Amino acid sequence: MSLYRDVWIVIPAYNEASVIADVVADVRAVFPNVVCVDDGGRDDTGDRAFAAGAHVVRHPVNLGQGAAIQTGIEYARARPGAQFFATFDADGQHQVKDVVRMLDRLQSEDLDIVIGTRFADRPPDRMPMLKRLLLPIVAKLSRSSRQLHLTDAHNGLRVFNKTVADALNLTMNGMSHASEFVSLIVENHWRIAEQPVQILYTDYSMSKGQPLVNGVNIIVDGLLRGRLRR
Amino acid sequence: MIWTKALLIGAVVLLLAYLFSSRRNAQSRAWVKVGYVFFVVGAIYAILRPNDTTVVAHWLGIGRGADLLLYALVIAFLFTTISAYMRFKDLELRYAQLARAVALEGARVPEDDTRQV
Repeated sequence: MSLYRDVWIVIPAYNEASVIADVVADVRAVFPNVVCVDDGGRDDTGDRAFAAGAHVVRHPVNLGQGAAIQTGIEYARARPGAQFFATFDADGQHQVKDVVRMLDRLQSEDLDIVIGTRFADRPPDRMPMLKRLLLPIVAKLSRSSRQLHLTDAHNGLRVFNKTVADALNLTMNGMSHASEFVSLIVENHWRIAEQPVQILYTDYSMSKGQPLVNGVNIIVDGLLRGRLRR
Repeated sequence: MIWTKALLIGAVVLLLAYLFSSRRNAQSRAWVKVGYVFFVVGAIYAILRPNDTTVVAHWLGIGRGADLLLYALVIAFLFTTISAYMRFKDLELRYAQLARAVALEGARVPEDDTRQV
Protein backbone atom coordinates (compact mmCIF):
# COMPACT_ATOMS: atom_id res chain seq x y z
CA MET A 1 0.00 0.00 0.00
CA SER A 2 2.68 2.48 0.97
CA LEU A 3 4.57 1.48 -2.17
CA TYR A 4 3.00 4.30 -4.17
CA ARG A 5 3.04 7.04 -1.53
CA ASP A 6 4.74 9.43 -3.97
CA VAL A 7 2.19 8.90 -6.77
CA TRP A 8 -0.84 11.12 -7.33
CA ILE A 9 -3.75 10.13 -9.54
CA VAL A 10 -5.70 13.07 -10.99
CA ILE A 11 -9.31 12.33 -11.95
CA PRO A 12 -11.25 15.14 -13.67
CA ALA A 13 -14.98 14.48 -13.28
CA TYR A 14 -18.09 16.20 -14.55
CA ASN A 15 -21.47 14.77 -13.50
CA GLU A 16 -20.11 11.28 -12.92
CA ALA A 17 -21.92 10.55 -9.63
CA SER A 18 -23.11 7.11 -10.75
CA VAL A 19 -19.60 5.72 -11.30
CA ILE A 20 -17.12 7.96 -9.46
CA ALA A 21 -17.18 6.07 -6.14
CA ASP A 22 -16.28 2.77 -7.82
CA VAL A 23 -13.57 4.36 -9.93
CA VAL A 24 -11.98 6.10 -6.91
CA ALA A 25 -12.19 2.92 -4.79
CA ASP A 26 -10.62 0.92 -7.64
CA VAL A 27 -7.71 3.34 -7.95
CA ARG A 28 -7.28 3.64 -4.18
CA ALA A 29 -6.87 -0.12 -3.86
CA VAL A 30 -3.42 0.43 -5.39
CA PHE A 31 -2.67 4.15 -5.21
CA PRO A 32 -3.47 5.86 -1.89
CA ASN A 33 -3.30 9.42 -3.23
CA VAL A 34 -6.20 10.42 -5.46
CA VAL A 35 -7.41 13.93 -6.24
CA CYS A 36 -10.80 14.23 -7.91
CA VAL A 37 -11.58 17.54 -9.58
CA ASP A 38 -15.33 18.10 -9.62
CA ASP A 39 -15.73 20.36 -12.64
CA GLY A 40 -18.69 22.33 -11.33
CA GLY A 41 -21.21 19.57 -11.96
CA ARG A 42 -24.81 19.58 -10.82
CA ASP A 43 -24.78 16.21 -9.05
CA ASP A 44 -22.92 15.01 -5.94
CA THR A 45 -19.83 13.70 -7.76
CA GLY A 46 -17.55 15.55 -5.32
CA ASP A 47 -19.23 14.19 -2.19
CA ARG A 48 -19.13 10.62 -3.46
CA ALA A 49 -15.48 10.87 -4.44
CA PHE A 50 -14.70 12.32 -1.01
CA ALA A 51 -16.58 9.49 0.72
CA ALA A 52 -14.54 7.03 -1.34
CA GLY A 53 -11.36 8.57 0.08
CA ALA A 54 -10.27 11.03 -2.61
CA HIS A 55 -9.09 14.57 -2.10
CA VAL A 56 -11.71 16.76 -3.70
CA VAL A 57 -11.25 20.12 -5.41
CA ARG A 58 -14.38 21.69 -6.81
CA HIS A 59 -14.56 24.27 -9.59
CA PRO A 60 -17.23 26.82 -8.65
CA VAL A 61 -18.31 26.84 -12.34
CA ASN A 62 -17.92 24.34 -15.15
CA LEU A 63 -14.69 24.99 -17.06
CA GLY A 64 -13.95 21.87 -19.09
CA GLN A 65 -11.69 18.85 -18.88
CA GLY A 66 -8.43 20.62 -19.71
CA ALA A 67 -8.96 23.14 -16.91
CA ALA A 68 -9.89 20.35 -14.50
CA ILE A 69 -6.68 18.45 -15.27
CA GLN A 70 -4.61 21.60 -14.75
CA THR A 71 -6.33 22.23 -11.41
CA GLY A 72 -5.74 18.63 -10.30
CA ILE A 73 -2.07 18.78 -11.24
CA GLU A 74 -1.59 22.11 -9.47
CA TYR A 75 -3.12 20.60 -6.34
CA ALA A 76 -1.13 17.38 -6.52
CA ARG A 77 2.25 18.94 -7.29
CA ALA A 78 1.94 21.13 -4.18
CA ARG A 79 1.44 18.11 -1.91
CA PRO A 80 4.53 17.13 0.10
CA GLY A 81 6.40 14.15 -1.33
CA ALA A 82 4.59 14.07 -4.68
CA GLN A 83 6.93 12.74 -7.39
CA PHE A 84 4.76 11.01 -9.99
CA PHE A 85 1.42 11.94 -11.50
CA ALA A 86 -1.22 10.28 -13.65
CA THR A 87 -4.34 11.57 -15.40
CA PHE A 88 -7.19 9.09 -15.29
CA ASP A 89 -10.73 9.24 -16.68
CA ALA A 90 -13.66 9.29 -14.29
CA ASP A 91 -15.97 7.18 -16.44
CA GLY A 92 -14.21 3.89 -15.73
CA GLN A 93 -12.71 3.30 -19.17
CA HIS A 94 -9.11 3.28 -17.92
CA GLN A 95 -7.52 0.48 -15.95
CA VAL A 96 -5.39 0.71 -12.84
CA LYS A 97 -3.08 -2.09 -13.99
CA ASP A 98 -2.17 0.00 -17.04
CA VAL A 99 -1.13 2.86 -14.74
CA VAL A 100 1.08 0.48 -12.76
CA ARG A 101 2.78 -0.70 -15.98
CA MET A 102 3.25 2.84 -17.26
CA LEU A 103 4.73 3.90 -13.93
CA ASP A 104 7.19 0.98 -13.98
CA ARG A 105 8.24 1.99 -17.43
CA LEU A 106 8.61 5.66 -16.52
CA GLN A 107 11.00 4.72 -13.73
CA SER A 108 12.95 1.91 -15.42
CA GLU A 109 13.50 3.64 -18.77
CA ASP A 110 14.28 7.09 -17.39
CA LEU A 111 11.42 8.86 -19.17
CA ASP A 112 9.57 12.06 -18.34
CA ILE A 113 6.16 10.97 -19.56
CA VAL A 114 4.38 7.83 -20.75
CA ILE A 115 1.18 8.20 -22.78
CA GLY A 116 -1.36 5.45 -23.38
CA THR A 117 -2.19 4.34 -26.89
CA ARG A 118 -5.19 2.42 -28.14
CA PHE A 119 -3.63 1.54 -31.47
CA ALA A 120 -0.48 -0.36 -30.55
CA ASP A 121 -1.52 -3.62 -32.17
CA ARG A 122 -5.19 -3.53 -33.09
CA PRO A 123 -8.05 -1.14 -32.34
CA PRO A 124 -9.92 -1.96 -29.15
CA ASP A 125 -13.14 -3.95 -29.22
CA ARG A 126 -16.30 -1.89 -29.34
CA MET A 127 -14.51 1.26 -30.44
CA PRO A 128 -16.94 3.15 -32.68
CA MET A 129 -16.13 2.64 -36.38
CA LEU A 130 -15.59 6.32 -37.23
CA LYS A 131 -13.23 6.81 -34.32
CA ARG A 132 -11.30 3.73 -35.35
CA LEU A 133 -10.73 5.29 -38.77
CA LEU A 134 -10.20 8.92 -37.80
CA LEU A 135 -8.08 8.92 -34.64
CA PRO A 136 -4.94 7.45 -36.29
CA ILE A 137 -5.34 9.95 -39.14
CA VAL A 138 -5.57 12.83 -36.66
CA ALA A 139 -2.40 11.56 -34.99
CA LYS A 140 -0.65 11.63 -38.36
CA LEU A 141 -1.95 15.11 -39.23
CA SER A 142 -0.71 16.89 -36.16
CA ARG A 143 2.83 18.12 -36.61
CA SER A 144 3.85 17.63 -32.99
CA SER A 145 2.47 14.11 -32.70
CA ARG A 146 4.27 13.21 -35.95
CA GLN A 147 7.54 14.47 -34.50
CA LEU A 148 7.04 12.20 -31.51
CA HIS A 149 5.79 9.25 -33.61
CA LEU A 150 2.59 9.05 -31.62
CA THR A 151 -0.11 6.67 -32.78
CA ASP A 152 -2.94 7.98 -30.61
CA ALA A 153 -3.70 11.69 -30.61
CA HIS A 154 -6.18 11.87 -27.76
CA ASN A 155 -5.56 9.34 -25.05
CA GLY A 156 -6.51 10.53 -21.57
CA LEU A 157 -4.22 8.12 -19.74
CA ARG A 158 -0.84 9.71 -19.01
CA VAL A 159 1.81 9.10 -16.36
CA PHE A 160 4.56 11.65 -15.78
CA ASN A 161 7.17 12.89 -13.32
CA LYS A 162 7.54 16.12 -11.38
CA THR A 163 9.51 17.86 -14.15
CA VAL A 164 6.45 17.66 -16.37
CA ALA A 165 3.97 18.47 -13.59
CA ASP A 166 5.88 21.56 -12.49
CA ALA A 167 6.09 22.95 -16.02
CA LEU A 168 2.57 22.02 -17.05
CA ASN A 169 0.37 24.98 -17.92
CA LEU A 170 -2.67 23.94 -19.94
CA THR A 171 -4.53 26.93 -21.33
CA MET A 172 -7.09 25.07 -23.42
CA ASN A 173 -9.96 24.58 -21.02
CA GLY A 174 -12.01 22.24 -23.17
CA MET A 175 -11.12 19.07 -25.04
CA SER A 176 -8.23 20.66 -26.97
CA HIS A 177 -5.90 20.12 -24.02
CA ALA A 178 -4.81 16.72 -25.39
CA SER A 179 -3.15 18.29 -28.43
CA GLU A 180 -1.84 21.09 -26.26
CA PHE A 181 -0.25 18.49 -24.00
CA VAL A 182 1.51 16.95 -27.01
CA SER A 183 2.76 20.37 -28.16
CA LEU A 184 4.13 21.03 -24.68
CA ILE A 185 6.02 17.73 -24.80
CA VAL A 186 7.67 18.80 -28.07
CA GLU A 187 8.47 22.33 -26.88
CA ASN A 188 10.01 21.17 -23.59
CA HIS A 189 11.86 18.18 -25.08
CA TRP A 190 10.41 15.81 -22.53
CA ARG A 191 11.41 12.17 -22.99
CA ILE A 192 8.30 10.28 -23.98
CA ALA A 193 7.15 6.74 -24.69
CA GLU A 194 3.82 5.23 -25.67
CA GLN A 195 2.36 2.33 -23.79
CA PRO A 196 -0.41 0.10 -25.19
CA VAL A 197 -3.41 0.32 -22.89
CA GLN A 198 -6.79 -1.30 -22.85
CA ILE A 199 -9.77 1.02 -22.97
CA LEU A 200 -13.12 -0.36 -21.88
CA TYR A 201 -15.79 1.11 -24.11
CA THR A 202 -18.78 0.57 -21.86
CA ASP A 203 -22.23 1.83 -22.77
CA TYR A 204 -21.78 4.43 -20.05
CA SER A 205 -18.46 5.75 -21.32
CA MET A 206 -19.72 5.81 -24.90
CA SER A 207 -22.76 7.84 -23.89
CA LYS A 208 -20.39 10.41 -22.38
CA GLY A 209 -17.95 10.39 -25.29
CA GLN A 210 -17.15 13.24 -27.62
CA PRO A 211 -19.05 13.74 -30.86
CA LEU A 212 -16.53 13.77 -33.71
CA VAL A 213 -17.68 17.22 -34.88
CA ASN A 214 -15.94 18.58 -31.79
CA GLY A 215 -12.72 17.84 -33.62
CA VAL A 216 -13.27 21.12 -35.49
CA ASN A 217 -12.95 22.99 -32.18
CA ILE A 218 -9.71 21.17 -31.48
CA ILE A 219 -8.25 22.15 -34.86
CA VAL A 220 -9.17 25.84 -34.48
CA ASP A 221 -7.82 25.95 -30.92
CA GLY A 222 -4.61 24.39 -32.18
CA LEU A 223 -4.20 27.19 -34.72
CA LEU A 224 -4.84 29.87 -32.14
CA ARG A 225 -2.60 28.38 -29.50
CA GLY A 226 0.37 30.52 -28.60
CA ARG A 227 -1.24 33.65 -29.99
CA LEU A 228 -2.93 34.30 -26.71
CA ARG A 229 -1.48 35.83 -23.62
CA ARG A 230 -0.53 33.28 -20.99
CA MET B 1 -11.12 44.82 -62.21
CA ILE B 2 -9.09 41.68 -61.44
CA TRP B 3 -6.46 43.65 -59.55
CA THR B 4 -9.16 45.30 -57.41
CA LYS B 5 -10.37 41.88 -56.34
CA ALA B 6 -6.82 40.82 -55.59
CA LEU B 7 -6.41 44.01 -53.56
CA LEU B 8 -9.55 43.32 -51.52
CA ILE B 9 -8.67 39.69 -50.87
CA GLY B 10 -5.15 40.76 -49.95
CA ALA B 11 -6.58 43.26 -47.46
CA VAL B 12 -8.67 40.57 -45.78
CA VAL B 13 -5.74 38.16 -45.57
CA LEU B 14 -3.43 40.87 -44.20
CA LEU B 15 -5.99 41.78 -41.59
CA LEU B 16 -6.28 38.15 -40.48
CA ALA B 17 -2.52 37.79 -40.32
CA TYR B 18 -2.25 40.96 -38.27
CA LEU B 19 -4.95 39.85 -35.85
CA PHE B 20 -3.48 36.40 -35.33
CA SER B 21 0.09 37.56 -34.96
CA SER B 22 -0.36 40.52 -32.66
CA ARG B 23 -0.89 40.18 -28.97
CA ARG B 24 -3.81 42.12 -27.63
CA ASN B 25 -1.70 44.85 -26.11
CA ALA B 26 -2.54 48.48 -25.48
CA GLN B 27 -0.94 49.59 -28.75
CA SER B 28 -3.06 47.39 -31.00
CA ARG B 29 -6.17 48.36 -29.06
CA ALA B 30 -5.28 52.01 -29.71
CA TRP B 31 -5.02 51.35 -33.47
CA VAL B 32 -8.43 49.69 -33.39
CA LYS B 33 -9.85 52.90 -31.93
CA VAL B 34 -8.13 55.04 -34.56
CA GLY B 35 -9.56 52.76 -37.24
CA TYR B 36 -12.99 53.09 -35.69
CA VAL B 37 -12.82 56.89 -35.83
CA PHE B 38 -11.94 56.74 -39.54
CA PHE B 39 -14.81 54.33 -40.06
CA VAL B 40 -17.31 56.67 -38.40
CA VAL B 41 -16.05 59.75 -40.27
CA GLY B 42 -16.21 57.82 -43.53
CA ALA B 43 -19.72 56.62 -42.74
CA ILE B 44 -20.99 60.16 -42.07
CA TYR B 45 -19.39 61.42 -45.27
CA ALA B 46 -20.99 58.59 -47.26
CA ILE B 47 -24.39 59.47 -45.84
CA LEU B 48 -24.02 63.15 -46.68
CA ARG B 49 -22.62 62.64 -50.19
CA PRO B 50 -23.52 59.14 -51.37
CA ASN B 51 -22.49 59.89 -54.97
CA ASP B 52 -18.90 60.50 -53.90
CA THR B 53 -18.56 56.84 -52.96
CA THR B 54 -19.22 55.95 -56.57
CA VAL B 55 -16.39 58.26 -57.61
CA VAL B 56 -14.01 56.53 -55.20
CA ALA B 57 -15.32 53.16 -56.39
CA HIS B 58 -14.50 54.10 -59.98
CA TRP B 59 -10.93 54.96 -58.97
CA LEU B 60 -10.63 51.42 -57.65
CA GLY B 61 -12.30 49.84 -60.67
CA ILE B 62 -15.52 48.95 -58.87
CA GLY B 63 -18.83 49.76 -60.62
CA ARG B 64 -20.93 51.24 -57.85
CA GLY B 65 -20.32 53.01 -54.55
CA ALA B 66 -22.76 50.63 -52.87
CA ASP B 67 -20.50 47.70 -53.80
CA LEU B 68 -17.50 49.49 -52.34
CA LEU B 69 -19.39 50.03 -49.08
CA LEU B 70 -20.39 46.38 -49.02
CA TYR B 71 -16.78 45.25 -49.40
CA ALA B 72 -15.67 47.64 -46.68
CA LEU B 73 -18.42 46.35 -44.39
CA VAL B 74 -17.47 42.73 -44.94
CA ILE B 75 -13.87 43.49 -43.99
CA ALA B 76 -14.96 45.48 -40.93
CA PHE B 77 -17.26 42.65 -39.89
CA LEU B 78 -14.49 40.05 -40.17
CA PHE B 79 -12.19 42.27 -38.17
CA THR B 80 -14.61 42.74 -35.29
CA THR B 81 -15.67 39.06 -35.20
CA ILE B 82 -12.15 37.78 -34.97
CA SER B 83 -10.97 40.34 -32.45
CA ALA B 84 -14.02 39.62 -30.28
CA TYR B 85 -13.26 35.89 -30.48
CA MET B 86 -9.64 36.41 -29.44
CA ARG B 87 -10.74 38.60 -26.57
CA PHE B 88 -13.22 36.04 -25.33
CA LYS B 89 -10.56 33.34 -25.40
CA ASP B 90 -8.28 35.57 -23.39
CA LEU B 91 -11.01 36.28 -20.83
CA GLU B 92 -11.90 32.60 -20.63
CA LEU B 93 -8.34 31.81 -19.64
CA ARG B 94 -8.32 34.38 -16.84
CA TYR B 95 -11.73 33.22 -15.69
CA ALA B 96 -10.37 29.65 -15.47
CA GLN B 97 -7.41 30.88 -13.41
CA LEU B 98 -9.76 32.67 -11.03
CA ALA B 99 -12.03 29.63 -10.66
CA ARG B 100 -8.96 27.42 -10.12
CA ALA B 101 -7.71 29.65 -7.31
CA VAL B 102 -11.12 29.46 -5.64
CA ALA B 103 -11.21 25.67 -6.08
CA LEU B 104 -7.74 25.16 -4.59
CA GLU B 105 -8.64 27.35 -1.59
CA GLY B 106 -11.58 25.10 -0.76
CA ALA B 107 -9.89 21.72 -1.25
CA ARG B 108 -11.25 18.91 0.92
CA VAL B 109 -8.62 16.59 2.37
CA PRO B 110 -9.67 13.12 3.60
CA GLU B 111 -9.11 12.62 7.34
CA ASP B 112 -6.75 9.66 7.12
CA ASP B 113 -4.46 11.77 4.96
CA THR B 114 -3.95 14.57 7.46
CA ARG B 115 -2.56 12.09 9.96
CA GLN B 116 0.06 10.68 7.60
CA VAL B 117 1.94 13.85 6.75
